Amino acid sequence: MERTAMIQELAKIVGKEDVLASEMEIQLYGYDASLNPGKPDCIVMPATTEEVSQVVRFAHENGIPVIARGSGTNLSGGSSPTEGGIAMLFTRMNRILEIDVDNQRVVVEPGAITLDIKNAIAKYGYLYHPDPSSEKATTIGGNLGENAGGAHCFKYGVTSNHVLGAEVVLYDGTVVEVGGKSLDNPGFDLPALLVGSEGTLGMVTKLTLRMMPKTEAVKTMLAIYETIADGANTVTDIVKAGMIPTTLEMMDNLTIKAVEAAYHVGLPEDAASILLIELDGLADGMERLTDEVVAICKKNKVREVRVAKNDAERERIWAGRKGAFGAVGRLRPNYLVNDPTVPRTKLPEALANVFEIGKKYNLPIANVFHAGDGNLHPLILFDQRDADELDRVHKAAFEIMVMCAELGGTISGEHGIGVEKLRGMSYIFSPRDIAEMRKVKQAFDPVNLYNPGKLIPADDAA
Amino acid sequence: MSNADKLASRLREIVGEANVTDDPEKLKALAVDGETPGVMVAPATIEETAQVVAYAHAEKLTVIPRGNGTKMGLGGIPKKVDILLSTRRMNRYRDYDIANLTLGVECGLSLAEIQAKLAGEGKGYFVALDPPHTGSATVGGIVATNDSGPKRFLYGAARDIILGIKAVSPDGSIVSWGGKAVKNVAGYDMTKMMIGSMGALGIICEISFRITPRFDADATLLISFDGLKAAAGYLRKLLHSKFYPASLELMNARAAAAIAVSAGLKGSYVAAIALEGIEEAVARQIAELSEMGRQEGGTDVVTLKDQPHRDFWIAYRDLADTLATAAPNLVMLKSNFILSKVVEMVSACEAALLKAGLEGALVCRAGNGILYAAIPLGDDLAGKTSDLVALVARLTDESVKQGGNLVVQRAPRVIKEKVSVWGQSRSDAVVVRSLKEKLDPSGILNPGRYVAGV
Repeated sequence: MERTAMIQELAKIVGKEDVLASEMEIQLYGYDASLNPGKPDCIVMPATTEEVSQVVRFAHENGIPVIARGSGTNLSGGSSPTEGGIAMLFTRMNRILEIDVDNQRVVVEPGAITLDIKNAIAKYGYLYHPDPSSEKATTIGGNLGENAGGAHCFKYGVTSNHVLGAEVVLYDGTVVEVGGKSLDNPGFDLPALLVGSEGTLGMVTKLTLRMMPKTEAVKTMLAIYETIADGANTVTDIVKAGMIPTTLEMMDNLTIKAVEAAYHVGLPEDAASILLIELDGLADGMERLTDEVVAICKKNKVREVRVAKNDAERERIWAGRKGAFGAVGRLRPNYLVNDPTVPRTKLPEALANVFEIGKKYNLPIANVFHAGDGNLHPLILFDQRDADELDRVHKAAFEIMVMCAELGGTISGEHGIGVEKLRGMSYIFSPRDIAEMRKVKQAFDPVNLYNPGKLIPADDAA
Repeated sequence: MSNADKLASRLREIVGEANVTDDPEKLKALAVDGETPGVMVAPATIEETAQVVAYAHAEKLTVIPRGNGTKMGLGGIPKKVDILLSTRRMNRYRDYDIANLTLGVECGLSLAEIQAKLAGEGKGYFVALDPPHTGSATVGGIVATNDSGPKRFLYGAARDIILGIKAVSPDGSIVSWGGKAVKNVAGYDMTKMMIGSMGALGIICEISFRITPRFDADATLLISFDGLKAAAGYLRKLLHSKFYPASLELMNARAAAAIAVSAGLKGSYVAAIALEGIEEAVARQIAELSEMGRQEGGTDVVTLKDQPHRDFWIAYRDLADTLATAAPNLVMLKSNFILSKVVEMVSACEAALLKAGLEGALVCRAGNGILYAAIPLGDDLAGKTSDLVALVARLTDESVKQGGNLVVQRAPRVIKEKVSVWGQSRSDAVVVRSLKEKLDPSGILNPGRYVAGV
């Protein structure tokens, strides 16, 4: 269909102001936080499920791809319109529709900002647990699309453990409900298939999330180490002792230096690693558990353990972690971050390999990682204008991914496959596995309308 | 050679002489809703299972998986039972990684056996699932039916603790989803799709669990109440408090009697609360929650520890088995609903039972919004059928009204023929059917037994 006609037709559905198509807007909505820019034909900003459904029906009838988009923070190219089409921008559908305290559920539109939802329910004394570091900017629809994790997953799980239901617009414009406020609805676990599907199965227009009562007590600790291995071994020992902290987060020296330079939160710049530990639960016994954790840190040659004495100290410790990506981003013009996951016990080996790969390709790599989950975040620093360096970055990132898969892990723990990791899929899935996933895609979207070219490699050789 | 003989002989080639049963008497005893299997086969490995399914696929024969048979009453009446596939010989530990808190097992192992083994490791570990049929249910059956128990309030359901699944797909391919990473977003979450899919999309052969370290202390609080509103009100208050018990349960007098709850509890309803965690927290909760119970109108409070505590929860989750042994024709219903409607659902159930002239043991997961009703029909099945059918219709309507649905988990065939065992059709049935058509186009896996006629 001719582009001008397409824009006119879409304007009839959502209104003229809510179709963007200028050269600048095409550029602005053509990329995400990865290195995979694309180019939408136009951007549509629906306000209601009905409008989404009409846009989808129009796109279906005219064979135009539809790519869901929130705040564009995606780290794997999932929200980048690499094959053109309509970028469906959900920022206008950002309402918190219902805070149902009695049933411990919150119903939201996909464009709602994650942190806004958390703040809204905090007023009633409830928490939504998943907390991607970018929660200030991310939309909940994007969190669903990528199955976002965060720093509290060790105890509370990831987005898919907290999304209980959704309203979905199917490829032909049909609107269906999956899951709901109640648990155990009969039928396949369709909410689970939608979470992490990167917008390839349907357009989610409403989400039902679990909210949980706020815990009585929280203890936050910061342990400082002379080596990375000591920090990683502390994590293993804490888990071995039978404790389930909410958080076990680590940073290496390069990250510590960057965070300190950016935020001045009092981290020792000469430390090899720091480990952030958080316990929650009832106040009873919390002091004893804290003492046990400190003892385990000491056994692993910790230099110093800081235990937050109040909320201000706790927030200071967290500010450094939440701002780590931003701080590292100041070191060089660009960074590429991957998110492979290994079994926790393989963490020291995986990290040693990451450093080796950095050396091999002559690239600085900063590491911030969810140690409890075995989820690495190597941030490879570079300058995109240097073609040779960019090439080495891609090679190093790929090698890290394959290395983690070979250690019994996976190529993506929370950022998704998008286009960036398509080549890695064959390291963890057989052609038969991928063929089966393709059938799932066809069951939801037989015409390949939604986010084409993402998540599933186009051919078995990939 | 007849077709039946040809089938048996081909299966014998795959799994060996001793592992194929075609003795009509034995097969009759294995009938599913009265449908006698053509043959039973017991493969020892996922590879053998794949060969059996590939053959069935080529010959368009139906395959119905079976573990220890504890949940064969679930689902619609099967369209056809050509091959009953026993998973019992797939009973090995695959990846026993305590240090990493993950465990890979084959589907035919019983959960009880796994728990016993894990309990003996170091400080002690467990798979955080406590479904019914404690002694006999296999993990494959538990996962395929997404079965769960009272502790799901604290630990979540199967979807929250399973990291990967290896299965045989309907065309006989071996497929592998997830693994042992606790966070994994590579591709679609096929692992969760398989959980509760009742073998309709593939036969689950291996499961990778996240395991949990043993807690320091545990105890049970039983508090009896004269009225439903007081009992539910207490549990509600607890649900919204800072306390986080392992289970938040409510039972009626009939259930309490069947479980043989310790003497000294009077009242029509009993709240049962399991506490697990560190010693200090368990001690405080026993004290504060008992007091809260009295304030909310509780008449008697009993605390159980050690063996009586453990025995109670086994009896509690195995209630249906106990009732089924005592009287014939047990009907088991499961209603799900939004959390705030405990009183409405329990009252509706009691009213429907009264109207039908039936008695039922009611057990409610007050922290999860689920009500189980175990209704023994006794010997007069024919006389009770129409009343029970009407009851199912009423309760289905009520469950839907309260934001959920109703599943008939087991019932005699004559009842299944007259009710919708999976409750009311939902708008997502179109996707359920579409998934089945794409993944199992010939419809050979468990046809007729799953949701939306799948």
